[in-house]
Amino acid sequence: MTATTTTELPDASADDVDELDAIMERACALIAPTWPLDRFIAVNPFWEMVDQPLPAVSSRLTALSGARLVMPRAWFREEWKAGRLRDADLEDAIAEAGAALGLADLHAIMNDEEPVTPRRARFMDIADSERDLERHMSWRDFVIHSSSQFCAAYFDAGQARLAPSRDGGLYASWRRQAGQDRSPALLMGLRNYKSTVSEVPPTARAMARVALRDLEIPTEEYQSYLTGLLLDLNGWAAWCAYRRWTARLSGGTDDALVDLLGIRLAWEWVLHRQGGAGLALSWRKAKAAWPSVDGLASSAQTSDWLLQRASEIAWQRGICAQLPAGWRPRSMAEPISVQAAFCIDVRSEVFRRALERQAPRVQTMGFAGFFGLPIEYQPIGSTHARPQLPGLLAARFRVTDSGVTGEVAAQREVRLDGDSAWKSFKTSALSTFAFVESLGLLFGGKLIADSFGFSGSDGTERAGLTAAEHALRRPRLTAHADGAALALEDRCKLAEGMLRAMSLTRDFARLVVLVGHGSQTRNNPHAAGLDCGACCGQTGEVNARVAAALLNEFEVRAGLSSRGIDIPASTRFLAALHDTTTDHVTLYELDDVPASHTADLRALRGWLDGAAQQARRERAPRLGVSALSDSSVRAAIEQRAADWAQVRPEWGLANNAAFIIAPRSTSRHIDFAGRSFLHDYRFEDDPDFGILELIMTAPMVVTHWINLQYYASTVDNVRYGSGNKVLHNVVGGHLGVFEGNGGDLRIGLPMQSLHDGERWVHTPLRLSVFIEAPRAAIEGVLRKHEKVRALVNNEWIHLFQLDANAGSVSAYRRQAWRVVTSAR
Amino acid sequence: MNATLLRLIAILIPLSFGLGVTLVTLRRPFQPAFVAAHGALGLSVLVAIAGVAGPPGVAAPGDLPSAATRLAHLVRLDGVTYVMLILVSFIAVVIVRYSQTYLEGDPGQARYSRALLATLAAVTVLVLSVNLLVIALAWMATSVALHQLLTFYRDRRPAIVAAHKKFLVSRLADGCMLGAIVLIGLTVGGLDLDVLNAWAAAHEAMPPTMQLAAVLLVVGVSLKSAQLPFHGWLIQVMEAPTPVSALLHAGVVNIGGFVMIRLAPFMARAPIAQTLLVVIGTITAVVAALVMTTRVSVKVALAWSTCAQMGFMLIECGVGAWHLALLHLVAHSLYKAHAFLSAGTAVNVWRVQAIAESRRPPLALTRMVAGAALVFGAVAASVAAAHALLSRNAAASATLAPFTIVLGLSLSPLVVRTFDGGAGSLLRVVLRGAAVGALYFGGHTVAGHVMSVPQGPARPLAWIVVIAGFLLLFAVEVTLACRPEGRLARVIQPRLFAGLYLDELFTRLTFRIWPPRLHELANVERALRLARTLESR
Repeated sequence: MTATTTTELPDASADDVDELDAIMERACALIAPTWPLDRFIAVNPFWEMVDQPLPAVSSRLTALSGARLVMPRAWFREEWKAGRLRDADLEDAIAEAGAALGLADLHAIMNDEEPVTPRRARFMDIADSERDLERHMSWRDFVIHSSSQFCAAYFDAGQARLAPSRDGGLYASWRRQAGQDRSPALLMGLRNYKSTVSEVPPTARAMARVALRDLEIPTEEYQSYLTGLLLDLNGWAAWCAYRRWTARLSGGTDDALVDLLGIRLAWEWVLHRQGGAGLALSWRKAKAAWPSVDGLASSAQTSDWLLQRASEIAWQRGICAQLPAGWRPRSMAEPISVQAAFCIDVRSEVFRRALERQAPRVQTMGFAGFFGLPIEYQPIGSTHARPQLPGLLAARFRVTDSGVTGEVAAQREVRLDGDSAWKSFKTSALSTFAFVESLGLLFGGKLIADSFGFSGSDGTERAGLTAAEHALRRPRLTAHADGAALALEDRCKLAEGMLRAMSLTRDFARLVVLVGHGSQTRNNPHAAGLDCGACCGQTGEVNARVAAALLNEFEVRAGLSSRGIDIPASTRFLAALHDTTTDHVTLYELDDVPASHTADLRALRGWLDGAAQQARRERAPRLGVSALSDSSVRAAIEQRAADWAQVRPEWGLANNAAFIIAPRSTSRHIDFAGRSFLHDYRFEDDPDFGILELIMTAPMVVTHWINLQYYASTVDNVRYGSGNKVLHNVVGGHLGVFEGNGGDLRIGLPMQSLHDGERWVHTPLRLSVFIEAPRAAIEGVLRKHEKVRALVNNEWIHLFQLDANAGSVSAYRRQAWRVVTSAR
Repeated sequence: MNATLLRLIAILIPLSFGLGVTLVTLRRPFQPAFVAAHGALGLSVLVAIAGVAGPPGVAAPGDLPSAATRLAHLVRLDGVTYVMLILVSFIAVVIVRYSQTYLEGDPGQARYSRALLATLAAVTVLVLSVNLLVIALAWMATSVALHQLLTFYRDRRPAIVAAHKKFLVSRLADGCMLGAIVLIGLTVGGLDLDVLNAWAAAHEAMPPTMQLAAVLLVVGVSLKSAQLPFHGWLIQVMEAPTPVSALLHAGVVNIGGFVMIRLAPFMARAPIAQTLLVVIGTITAVVAALVMTTRVSVKVALAWSTCAQMGFMLIECGVGAWHLALLHLVAHSLYKAHAFLSAGTAVNVWRVQAIAESRRPPLALTRMVAGAALVFGAVAASVAAAHALLSRNAAASATLAPFTIVLGLSLSPLVVRTFDGGAGSLLRVVLRGAAVGALYFGGHTVAGHVMSVPQGPARPLAWIVVIAGFLLLFAVEVTLACRPEGRLARVIQPRLFAGLYLDELFTRLTFRIWPPRLHELANVERALRLARTLESR
């Protein structure tokens, strides 16, 4: 057959070409981005598919890639046995779905074996089906490994010193390499590979046309087939999607995803050309079976989604019952002396509860941890600025270090250049031998220091600076991101927006602490995932310090006053950082605090330390720390944070389940056990509901991303999680990890962040969002924003409305409100 | 201390690891390993101190039972033994402490701990043994025990494939070793290292059977040291937990070098085998070091680096600088153990690098070459001066010139890259160069004191191979650094990236000979069957 076909592009009219391009675009558009390890923020891996409900996405992906997005039945059985999932929940789920089955049926399903569902075969699978897979490497393993290695070499930015030529983009570069690759012949025994690969068309789009024609894919199956191919290399597809995402944020574009699709198609086509009549017949049968595969994938899991829904109902039941108690009128509390604003992060909830118990005079608030500052930060002596804001946004302002001289910058450059010269002495091909014989023995000392816990943190902020120089740094807002000067007007606007979004426009306390957060781990490729997601995987230090300094500026306060926000002269803003691993809180720039506030500061320090102790006690059991005294709990937790072998330094955002958008008084009486995001919001102060709109379109989306990242990594860790941490192998300096030697780039969370070895620490529940605002206002935002509407209507999040006057909690389902609990 | 008693104490080291294997429980999987490793380190230090204080070479008076005396005669204690014992038990302490935390929650901890202890017991027996057959058997045992660690995750197909490859190469090497042992036993009439080395000292020209035995040893050692083209297994065993990689790269793969060092007096009389070792080592060092620069993941780059470093260590054995091989072995172990265990910091390293990224364009080739010549001259002159003033070590003198060349070539990029013409920069550059030089030759001098190096005839051919190899490496590397998009880079990158296709056929062969079987395959089978039923409908 190969004799007659040619790789001449099929005669195609311009319309056909456009049509195919559009289909390729649509196939690529389904892939969500993954951020690199140095800014490892959470993403909903199905973000581009939220126009369908999760169960529909799941059955679609089951058919396309074998993914299954619901927990195994054995897990639900355990939940039921443990009493966390009860018959009432199952019945509610059945009733809600209007499903035609009874409780007994659902029990039977829960106690049944896991369904085994096939997935749509690619040509690669057909080629494998004729191979003795015990005595030969499979085509699937080979193609994934080899394509993945090439992508890594192409995108590498720090590991290899010698890279392939990147001229012409990913596909062109791959084509050059593939043209002289001998491993398909040597390793896989593919005869005639060389002559076949020489006919591979020069562009990804041309490749698609040829491959779809020769593989005889039915036109209506184009998009599914192409998406399936991308899902074979889901990790690299997500990386390419990240490049597209960042390019688009800055108004550009990136075509790597289409190129990746071209590479995958080229392999299908090459294998197809090599295949004989037997394979052709199997291929025709496989294609004919695609629709029935789809059907089976969807029918096999319908009832499992009732179990998932039931476990969500079970958890919501408890919270909905507890909420109305928050609206009971309470006697006026003591006057507030400190206001502390924390990130909405679920880890703040534990600390805030502890702090409130320590000191009734402290009022805590929840706000996105970047404090609404759309900034990027260029540390001293650095050539680059890094984003310090959510991945959804582009930076508008530039922050630099003040307080240090240009001489320090020059010093730092020299020191860092020295470091990089040493690194190159260590890793370059020739000097690596002399390096070992001259400096190798010194690593004995490093081994002792690291093994016995004598070495400090991995901190990169301080690299190339002395402790004194580091302490002098004052990150400050200096310019627009494009370098244009910053007017007072801009600063005032920024400050006003920040305070209004926080619902903090009156009743200022003497101290207002803006608390960012960061984690403390060592030797952890995914460390940035434990830092502040709203600060793009950095700690919130820079944002907190910039925000506090801005609000302390005399001119800014004057400007705010003219905009209706009067901050008393006695109010001092203070920046802090909450270490989520050890629960220690660091306060910044205390030297600048006037003497009038010394007593307030001393009291604050005491409360923070007391709260830290209590928070550590609360977290200790889950970490396996069972010490008796407060000081030994602290010692044990600090030791874990400094241990280079520790793969579970903290549980991060595991077990997140809810997001509450309301004044703190509504939720203050509830112990959420670190499972809820909290955002302060007073709808009374938001007449046009602009702030509600902001919260529902930014923080709510971010919490949903985090929630779905944990969800997806738990239900299908092989495809949407990064597997076993003890096998992780960092790729290209910061791109991501391989699990072991190679395979696809791994995205999502490692098993060790979700599972303690015996059981899942994260319970995968879709996020329940509770908003205290009028129903009409919430509906207004939904009407206006298509994507948010899709999230709610397709049940990616469960939306609830809190009504303080009626004392009721109402659920929003199928575009209608239903009262769930009522105090009266 | 009584020499026999000291030897008996040394035997407690492998014994404690061995005992540990039997004491591992599911509830406390690492406790016996923890105790055994720390105990072994204490004993090793004790034995070394006692041994150095009073040389244990003299035969002991018969104040101990004869069985104990006979047992003690199986142990060889000397500077090399002390260094290796302390190294191995130190690495053991580091790895046990690390694994204990790292693998928390893993259901296979007990299995892991047992295999780790068994490996350590075998390695320490090997280090202590005076008998060549015991060494060979302990080496096999090391390999078999390590196999359990390499296949720790039994459902990972790449892990199984790599382990099978290693197993096949190791058995091939065992065959070579046993062949050599038979030849040696028949010719010499004993397998005691002291007997063999004394025999070699007495025979200036060894008979062909012994030359053949030496060649077989070299082949066996090269196979087990992951020399090209049988290196694939070493590169692909990143499929086991990180500390297993650390153990393999720091404590097991270098045993070949140790065996060569043990047999130094014998090998000094085997010119063919020695030259072969130099050729294999040089090719591996040069090629593997270049391939390393194309690797995209941190652990795989480290593995290629080990492959190259083992080549360099074997070169040192081949040219008769066994003391340097010992230094290299120890220094590499410490460096590589740390590099693997801290591989998770790669992102931090990248972040620091990114702060100062792209400030410097690649250097001009002419400037690089001129700078290199200058640096090279300075290094050579200062080494010659220092040598004339200070050194009285014969072993050091013989190898000084070639290693000065290696050092000079290595230092020049470091210097030329960071020197910007200012006085401060000049001072820094000179200090750096002097510090590296002092540590380098200081290490060599100390190594010369740890072991006495048998003198062999000068082998100019071997030196020409080594120097040519490293000059080539220098030329390639400088060209690539100065012209990263040049023609050489374009020609060489795809080939190096493919590892010169040295491993493909062996992998294919391994699949044929010993197919990887997994539990997982059964599931795939089930799914495929289902798909077929669907199709046939």
